[in-house]
This record gives sequence, structure tokens and C-alpha cells, in this order.
Amino acid sequence: MVTPPTSAPIQLAGRKILIVDDDRLNLRILGGILKGEGYVLAEADSGERALELYATFRPELVLLDVMMPGIDGFETCRRLKRDYGDKCAPVIFITAKNESDDVVEGLGAGGVDYLPKPFKPKEVLARLRSHMQNQILSEQQKLLVEQLSKADAAKNRFLGMAAHDLRNPLASIRGLAEFLREGAVGPLNPDQIELIETIHAASQSMLEMVNELLDVATIESGELKLHLEPCNLGELTAKCVTLINMEAAKKKTHVAYELPAPPVTLVIDAAKMKQVIDNLLSNAVKYSPPGSTITAIVQAGATPGTCHILVRDQGPGIPEGERDKLFKDFSRLSIKPTGGENSTGLGLAICRKIVEAHRGTIVAENLPSRGCEFRVTLPANP
Amino acid sequence: MNFTGMILLVDDEPHIRKYVSLILKQLGSPRLVEAANGEEAIAVYQRENPDLVLLDVNMPKMDGIETLKRLKELDPKCVVIMLTSLANRETIVQALELGAANYIRKDTPKEEIAQALSSTIDACFDLS
Repeated sequence: MVTPPTSAPIQLAGRKILIVDDDRLNLRILGGILKGEGYVLAEADSGERALELYATFRPELVLLDVMMPGIDGFETCRRLKRDYGDKCAPVIFITAKNESDDVVEGLGAGGVDYLPKPFKPKEVLARLRSHMQNQILSEQQKLLVEQLSKADAAKNRFLGMAAHDLRNPLASIRGLAEFLREGAVGPLNPDQIELIETIHAASQSMLEMVNELLDVATIESGELKLHLEPCNLGELTAKCVTLINMEAAKKKTHVAYELPAPPVTLVIDAAKMKQVIDNLLSNAVKYSPPGSTITAIVQAGATPGTCHILVRDQGPGIPEGERDKLFKDFSRLSIKPTGGENSTGLGLAICRKIVEAHRGTIVAENLPSRGCEFRVTLPANP
Repeated sequence: MNFTGMILLVDDEPHIRKYVSLILKQLGSPRLVEAANGEEAIAVYQRENPDLVLLDVNMPKMDGIETLKRLKELDPKCVVIMLTSLANRETIVQALELGAANYIRKDTPKEEIAQALSSTIDACFDLS
């Protein structure tokens, strides 16, 4: 479960501050100012002592004097940053007034702010309060991001499992419907055949949706592995076009293709790229009115070795303001398939993830006349 | 399919047993016995002594890998072909190392399953 950060006022009492100054008087003055706020304090009189104390005290903020015998404040800060990296508490330098070089160097060494001497109690408290609050907020944010990414991983595992478990029975339903339709267990009358056809078509489209869910779960969980090998992109596209034309014929649309001469060979995962081309083509068929022509074009890119796959349709195009939604998970546009086909809203998201895994890009644009163009650009060496 | 021996089909899902048995029947293999879990598979194997076992990988309690181990202990020469859904590489490798003859995906279209069953089974018995 994800718990959002509480909106209660941020509690500063009990937060730990390490004060480092070789001047005992300064330590006492700062200590006096800060105690009133309820901070827990530790004091060090040198950079070396500060480094030791930091390891055991683990402060949430460090006040660090610049001029000290032994290692100075800047060096102490650099060592803290080196040893603790991102987890290092914010460092605020203590400087004499008007030493702007110190301020610049201090910020360069990794400090977040500086306190000018002589100290003004109200200013000191206000500055520390604001840094502490920032730090607490960023801790809460980190925690939240951590929780969210765990929840997201759990969602993907769940998606994958659910889809897995749905796949087998669906495949059986489809197959068993085929046996019935073929008359494997005796002849059927036309009404029975019609019902069986409906069961078959429904299980088929559910299987496709489940497969898309599985793809997303696999990709999101980082299990998408490319099996790269040289592939003739034109040949691959031509195969996809031949297959999709059977679907297209049912809707009285046609898919034509234009291939580059000489042929383009790229090192890609052919099966995954086929999935991208199939998806773009089937989308084009889904959203195109009867009688229209869809064109798939493979062409060499302007940069040698790169390649484009273009799919142009004569459908309604992408509605104004909906282009951002196109490639996102589970997003559907306001336009509807022309033949009542199903959509999970995942197809293009999967395409984008596969293309990006090849270090390529995918974009969509409306064409000046009508319809739109999807353009996949693949680099020479994914 | 040229294979005419007896097949033991093991799967916990009744719909899969029905489906695969219909495919086998269409391929001309009438001698089929079934088991719904690993323990039943061992018992049926001992009683019927089939020529070939088609064994599901994912089953509750005793899974396909465990059942395969027991079958091989019982009869090192038994021929087992694993039935899997979305190819799970690691499990398949494990099964092959344990002596499974091959594997078949049962979540592909009917014609593909039929083709895979026929060629894989015939190849196991040098009948192709």
C-alpha cells in the first residue's frame, strides 16, 4: 500500500544537527540559538573530528565553519560528499560577512547555503527551518517514489500472472470452438454454426487482448530482451502486408506497399519489429473507412544506415489535442474503429516500447489531405 | 502422425485434456489414457505402461518437473514430452536436463499444436 506524505505540520524537534567550529564561543552561541527549537546537537572542533562524529551521530544537517586548523571546511564538506554521496546531510557553511569567494567555493564544494557571522538568531533559525523542511519533504518524496515503484512492479506481476492464467483457457475455448465448427463431433445446423462462430471470434479477440496485457507486463518488468539479427526490413514488411490484406479485404480496404531499392538490411529483433508493423497496419485497417487504401513504405533515412517505416492511412486522423495520448498505456482516442473491433489501448504503447528498445523513435502526424502517418525511425545499430 | 503407441496425457486442466485429446484423435491416435495430476500420472503409468507421456509443466502440488523426476526414477527409458504455455525457458531447460525428450506449446493455434505434436512425437520414435 502507498501512504501519501501526511499533511500535518513538519516536526523539527529531535532532528539532529552537527555543528563544526574551532571557535568555542561560536559553538556556544549557535548551540544556544538552536536548543530552543528542540534540535538534538553534536559539536566538533575540527574537520577531522567532524568526519568521525558524522559516522556515529548521523546528523540530518551539518553547520560547518570554513576557516579551521587541519582540514578546512571546504575539504571536510568534499570528504563528506565523497563518503556519503546522495545520502549526505545538507551542509551549511559558516562564513564571516562579505567573504563572497568563500560563499562561491562553499557552494561549489557541495554546500547548500551559508550563515554569515555574526549570527542573527532569527535568521539562523529561519534558514535552518527551511532547509530541514526541504530535506524532510525530499525524504518523504523518495519514500513515496520507492513505494510507488514497488506498487507498479506488483501491478506488472499481477498483470502477467492474470494474463497467463487467462491465456490457456481462452486458447482451449478457441480451439474447441474450431472442433465444433469443423463438425469434428457431428454436423451442425446454420444457427449452431453462427453461435460457434461468435464464440470463436470472441475468444480470439480476448486472446489478442490478453497477449497485449502480457506484452506490457513483460516490457514493463524489464524482461523485454531483443534477439538481434540482420533482417531485410522490406521483406518483413511485405509479409506483414500480405497477412493484413486478408483482414483488410473483409472491410473492403487494401494495403499497398513500397519497398526501397536496393533492399535495406538492419540488425533488429525481427519478431518484435513484425509486431510493431502488424500493429500499425491493423490500426490503420481498424480506423479506415471502407474503400480506402493504406500504404506501408520502407525507405532509407537521411542519415546513412538509418531507416524509416511509414504507414499512411485515409482514416479520420488523430483528433486535435489527443496526440499526447496516442503512445500511452491504456489510452484510447475519441475515434472508434470502423468495424466495431476491440482495442485495449495498449497496442501503440507496446510499439513505442519495442521501437525505443531498438533506440528508435515513433511519431504520428496527420496528413494534409486526410488520414495520418505513423513514422518509425530505426538507427543503424540498435 | 505415424506414431500408434499408447499416450498418457497429464494436465490438471480438464479443458486442456479435452482439447489435446481431440487434436490427438484427429491425428489418428486412438490409444489415450489421462491423468489429472502428478500422483495420478505415476499410478496410471505403472498400470498402463504407455509408450509416451505428454506432461503439463504447471500443476498444483506435484508439478511437471517433480513428476518427470519420479517417472524417470520409475522407468529411466520412459519418453516424456512437456506441455507448456508461454515458453518458460528455465523450466524447459530444467526438464530437458532431467531427460524430457522435447516440449510443445499448448497455447498456440490448433493447427500449430497439431503440427508440433505430430512432428515431435514421430521424431521421438524415429517415425518421420
